[in-house]
Amino acid sequence: MGTNALKVDDAGWETEVIKSPGLVMVDFWAVWCGPCQMVAPIVDELATEYAGKLKVMKLNTDENPEVAGRYQIMSIPTVLFFKNGQPVEKLIGARPKKQFKDIIDQLLTQSASPA
Amino acid sequence: MDSPHKESLEKMWKFVKGFADKSGTTFHPTPGVTDSVVNGLAAHVDELGKPLCPCNFYKDKEAEAKLRRWICACDEMQIYKYCHCLLFVRGDGMPITEYLPEDHEGRQIYGLIADPTPDKGRALRHRAPAAIATTATADGTPSKRIPNQ
Repeated sequence: MGTNALKVDDAGWETEVIKSPGLVMVDFWAVWCGPCQMVAPIVDELATEYAGKLKVMKLNTDENPEVAGRYQIMSIPTVLFFKNGQPVEKLIGARPKKQFKDIIDQLLTQSASPA
Repeated sequence: MDSPHKESLEKMWKFVKGFADKSGTTFHPTPGVTDSVVNGLAAHVDELGKPLCPCNFYKDKEAEAKLRRWICACDEMQIYKYCHCLLFVRGDGMPITEYLPEDHEGRQIYGLIADPTPDKGRALRHRAPAAIATTATADGTPSKRIPNQ
């Protein structure tokens, strides 16, 4: 059984993303955004494929404007990657799954490399 | 956002069908994509009185609606024939990007996507930078990098 992306909101942002160790991916989306419908299943698949290595979250920008504003989100979907609470990569738009995987693999490799 | 009123939905479907025809574009082959966007436009008609693009986040929707740049059909569609919402696209579902500046996010996401109907749409093409307006229509490849608007 797969593990879908978890919902996060303004209230839970600090705990779930900023204070979360390791790599976190957050999909900023909205209900009536067409490209968001295309990205959503990819995000859920990635949550399953990278379970234990990557924390995958989704944030509804209509319901959580504080966080969306803080990270200057404009076009949606926008996917942000956080490493130890810091934003390190951004992907905007309905991109193919491979582009997400390439970024994730690269960031995980960096995390595994000795300092 | 709440589900839109039937009247707003009908109004938006009529508008987007007419604009797709006028601009030489088509709807996305994935029906859910088009349905979502049209619902979002109609919901904004109910909320703001204007069909504000539902594929952006706005800190202040009412202020943004007054600027008109993201009222469907938005400035990017009217100038560059690019719809980042994937509402007005080619038959293969790809958005037209050939008129966009090279450093625009649309070019970075999708690469160069040619316009199959260059004689249609782009009512505000005169607002595109000259280098793009001339070279893109000639061979589909902008020759000069220009900044975002």
